[in-house]
Parts: sequence; structure tokens; C-alpha cells
Amino acid sequence: MSDLWIIVTGALVASACGIVGCFLVLRKMAMIGDAISHSVLPGIVIAFLVSGSRDSLFMLLGAAGIGLVTVLLIQLIHQSGLQSDASIGVVFTALFAIGIILVSVYTRDIDLDLDCVLYGEIAYIPWNTLQLGSLDMGPKAVWGIGLALLLSVALIGIFYKQFKLTSFDPTFAAAVGIPVALFHYLLMSLVSVTTVASFESVGAILVVGMLVVPPATAYLLTDRLGRMMIYSVVIGCISSAAGYYAAQFLDASIAGSMVSTAGFLFVIALLFSPRHGVLLRKWKQRRILADAAAEPFV
Amino acid sequence: MQIGNLLGYLVTLNPKEMKNKMNKSTSPRQKRSAGPKLIALALLISLTALVSGCGKDSASSSPDTRKLKITATTGMIADLAKEIGGPHVQVTGLMSAGVDPHLYKASQGDIRKLDQADIILYNGLHLEGKMVEIFENMAKKKTTVAVSDPIDRSLLRSGALMNTEYDPHIWFDVSLWMKAAGTVRDTLIQKDQTHAEDYKKNADRYLSELNALHKEISEKISTIPESSRVLVTAHDAFGYFGDAYHLKVMGLQGISTASEAGTKDVTDLRDFLVENKIKAVFIESSVPRKAIDAVIQGAREKGHEIKIGGELFSDAMGKEGSPEGTYIGMVRHNVETMVSALK
Repeated sequence: MSDLWIIVTGALVASACGIVGCFLVLRKMAMIGDAISHSVLPGIVIAFLVSGSRDSLFMLLGAAGIGLVTVLLIQLIHQSGLQSDASIGVVFTALFAIGIILVSVYTRDIDLDLDCVLYGEIAYIPWNTLQLGSLDMGPKAVWGIGLALLLSVALIGIFYKQFKLTSFDPTFAAAVGIPVALFHYLLMSLVSVTTVASFESVGAILVVGMLVVPPATAYLLTDRLGRMMIYSVVIGCISSAAGYYAAQFLDASIAGSMVSTAGFLFVIALLFSPRHGVLLRKWKQRRILADAAAEPFV
Repeated sequence: MQIGNLLGYLVTLNPKEMKNKMNKSTSPRQKRSAGPKLIALALLISLTALVSGCGKDSASSSPDTRKLKITATTGMIADLAKEIGGPHVQVTGLMSAGVDPHLYKASQGDIRKLDQADIILYNGLHLEGKMVEIFENMAKKKTTVAVSDPIDRSLLRSGALMNTEYDPHIWFDVSLWMKAAGTVRDTLIQKDQTHAEDYKKNADRYLSELNALHKEISEKISTIPESSRVLVTAHDAFGYFGDAYHLKVMGLQGISTASEAGTKDVTDLRDFLVENKIKAVFIESSVPRKAIDAVIQGAREKGHEIKIGGELFSDAMGKEGSPEGTYIGMVRHNVETMVSALK
């Protein structure tokens, strides 16, 4: 039963991240997950100073708050003209640095770091269950991440056209009357909610990895957004199932194995993709050269 | 071959495909259903993987000679369980020698260790970080005990700022660790009545050993001249040790091994060491020695030579099988290292 829950959780994280990740890859903001994973530090320190406890509910609330602040600031700075990677870099390093100052000033004598109080571990998912009266409702993480996934699917499903247009051609979207800024902020908030909810149950590397690697793999395989999202989810799910059994075989970290599997699939796509594949392109080039050589001069 | 059949079946279940088949089998629209097909494939892979996993699981858990299976988080707790449980228990530790509990990463095998355990013992007081919450949750279904739990909170060290959070490194005060031993004994007796006598006997023997150790440490530390009784290490794991055996403990980092030492900490500590002519500082098995090296370098520039007194075991014990691989051996090693360097 434990195996099933872990694979299901991995697949849910992969799906939730894979869907929003596609938009991030297209917008050149793929590393925003990594940025949030660092920038939430001041959030947990403030939450601890206010509540006086390291209970994960308070930590989650603090992290979610600062997570939103992070993405909104990034979007704001980006819209005022700075490149997206630079805006991400500026915001997350500044917030993380503030967090370090807060830790060193206020909470020197207790153990308060992200690994210890915020990031979960996917291996322990099966035992952290939701109890409703005497009824065992399954792991909390499945519910939390499932809800985040549902929210993303619902919002992106309803406003698919708007999200697509604002990602590919914001000027045109604005011209046809779509509130571009609103949809940017909406997408960013979705990213923040999804990542923070996932950090809390499965830790940082799995979320950051699933936000980038499966969408990037899917990007190599197709040029259509809808299909890219489906591929990304499928690749993420395969990675989590296959990665879990790789972890079992190696007796290694589960999250690490899942992301490595995703990386492995990416390399395969990079080599063999029908459109962008490295090998195929080489082969085509050689064909053209051979044809040219074979052809008599005209 | 079975997988192939099943895959074919799943693919034909796809409605679009079926319609296509009914209309014209060579429709160009067929290409569009690649997504759902892939989903089916993904599901299938996870499903077969799952089935194979479950099969192995039921085979391995055949009823063997019933030993009480205990899973402990740190090596110190595992050692405690081995001493008291004796031949009636089979103890597995999650964190191996030299692993810092603050930075410990779970592996897939840990799931089985926790799943199959009859009793889970952990330190508590947030030593295991977020895992503590998981353990508290597990306690509803399984005997899951924090060895620090029954210790009176007034005996624990709390931070200057918050008095609801405590220093988790209780094993360095042997008298506190004796209380933890009592907790382990009571837990074992409660779970396994038939061997209650043996557990009691083992615990009594071990407690008297610990008691002797407690006295031995006090005696040995008292041979160090009073002005030299200063223990400088990389992080504050030895707070209880200092309180119990009257040493001034100074650390470079905070409690957490993850927070870094500030420049002011380094210069403050250097000045203190130079002023009080402290001879040695110590490094720890599970903490890098960079910050300590900076202090030594600084003192040398001020004309005071400090040597590294040796390596202390703080959050993890030595290798299994070596004398430092047991709790008593580890504490003894620490005390001897301190005494010979500071005397």
C-alpha cells in the first residue's frame, strides 16, 4: 500500500507541476520553482516568530504568503522591463538573504531551516494520513496536491485560450481585449500555490525538477501547447513510477530517483525526437550531403 | 506478451479510435490520438510495476521466528534498544554512522524499515525535523515513542527567545539518557510481556553501567584545571554535557548545523580563546571544520597557538563494531579526547 501512495503522490506532483511548467518553459521562467524554494525562508521565520511553534501548518501558511509575494514581485519587475531570468534572480536572492538575516538575528538558538521545518519527504507520505473521525482518508499530501492540481486544471481549462494567447503573443492578446496582466498574475499565483503545497509534502528537488524537466522534454516532442501539456503529464507520471522502482532497486532517495528518471527521458527525447532530435538532425544532414555528393554537377 | 495484449485492449478502449475504426480504418485523424495512447501506456507501466512490487512484498513477510522488530532513528537510540532488548529484539537504525540527523535524507529502504517495525523509537524535540510530525501521526496506529518524551521539561535546555522549543541533544547528559533508557524499557515491556523479566534485568544492568559512566565523566572532567574547562566546538551540541559536567561550552554555529557562523562569532571566539589561553578546540564527526580552522588561524595571528584537540562524536556515533560505535564507547572517547587536550 505504501508503494501505491508514494507513486500516486509522485504522479500528482508531476501532473500539477507538468501543467503549469509548460507555461513557465514557454515564458522562459522555468527556474521560478527553484526561486520559490529559496525565497520562502523569511516566510517561515516570520510564521515562527508570530506563532512561536514549528508546526507545519504555520510554516505552510508563512511559506505560501511569501511564495505569492515572490511571484508577484517577479512579475511586477519583469513587466517593468527587466528580463525574466534577471527578475527571478533579483527577487529570490533578496528574499532569501532577508531570511538569513532574520534567522541570524531572531532564531539563532533553535533549528529553523527550510529542510528541517518546511520540506517534506516523499518516503513518509503513507504515514501522514488525514483522519476524519475514525475514518482513514489516505495521505494528507494526496489531498493537498490533488486539490492544487484540480485548481490548476479547472482554471487553465476554463481560461485555456486566454492563457495560451497571453503566453505566446501578449501584444495580440491585449489587442483583442484580454486582460494580460491579470492572467500573468493568475498563472504566477497558480505556480506559487502548486509549488508551496508540493514542497510541504515532497520536498524541493522533486517539485523543481518536475516543473522543468517533463515540460522541457514535451517541448522537444511537439509544437502544440495542448499536446505539450499532455506529454508533460505522461512523462512526469512515467518518471515517478519508474523512478520509484529505480529507488527500490538502488535503495536510494525516492525523489532523487524520480527526477533522475525524468532527466533520462529528457536525454532520450533530445537524441531521438523526430523534430528536434540531435541524432536525427545529424542523420538528415549526412543524407543531404550524400545526396549532394552523389548528384552530378548541373 | 500479456502486456502487449493488454495494451492493445486499452488502446481499442479509446472512443475516438473506435469511431475511427468503425468509419474508415485509414483515416488521417488517427494520428491525433497519440496523447491518450501514451496515457494508457504510462498507466500500464505503473500498474505492472505496482503488481510486481506487491508480489515481492507478500513473499518476504513470511512469519519467521518472532523477534520484536524495532526501528530507531539515531544510532544512540538503536544502541539503547539493543542493550535492553538483548536477544529478543531485532534493531534497525535509520541513520547510519557519521550521518548528521539534521541533514539526513530518507532512502526507499527506510519505508520497509518503518512499515515492518513493531516499535519505532525516535529522539523527538525536533531532532528529526519534520519527521517528528510523521511519527506523532504514526503513534495512532503503531507503538511509536519519543525517548525524550517522559523527561520533565524543566530539565531541558530551552532557547533564550522561545521557551517552548528545546535543545534535542539530550544524550550528552548521561543522567538524562538514563531516563531515555527507562522509556525504552517500559515500551518493550508493554509490547512484549512474555520477556518482561529479561528486559528489566538488561535495563538494570545497563542503567548501572550508565550510572558508573556518569560518575566517571565527572571525575575525569574535574582533573582539568578549572580555568581551562572550556569546550569549543563547531555547533552547540554539547549544551547538556556542559551543564551536567560543569564545562563552559562555546559553539560557533547555532543549534542547527545548517546555519552559518557569522564573522563576529569568529572574532569574538578568537578573542576569548586568546584572553583565556585555551589550549585546544574540537572538531566534530558530522560537522565540517572550516569555521574552527578560521578561529585557529585568527588566534595564531594574535600570537596564541591553539591546537585541534581531536574529533568529537556529536550527532552520530562511530562505525559499527568499533569501540566508538556504542553509546558508552562514544561518550568515553569524547571525554578522553577533551581531558587529554585541555589538561
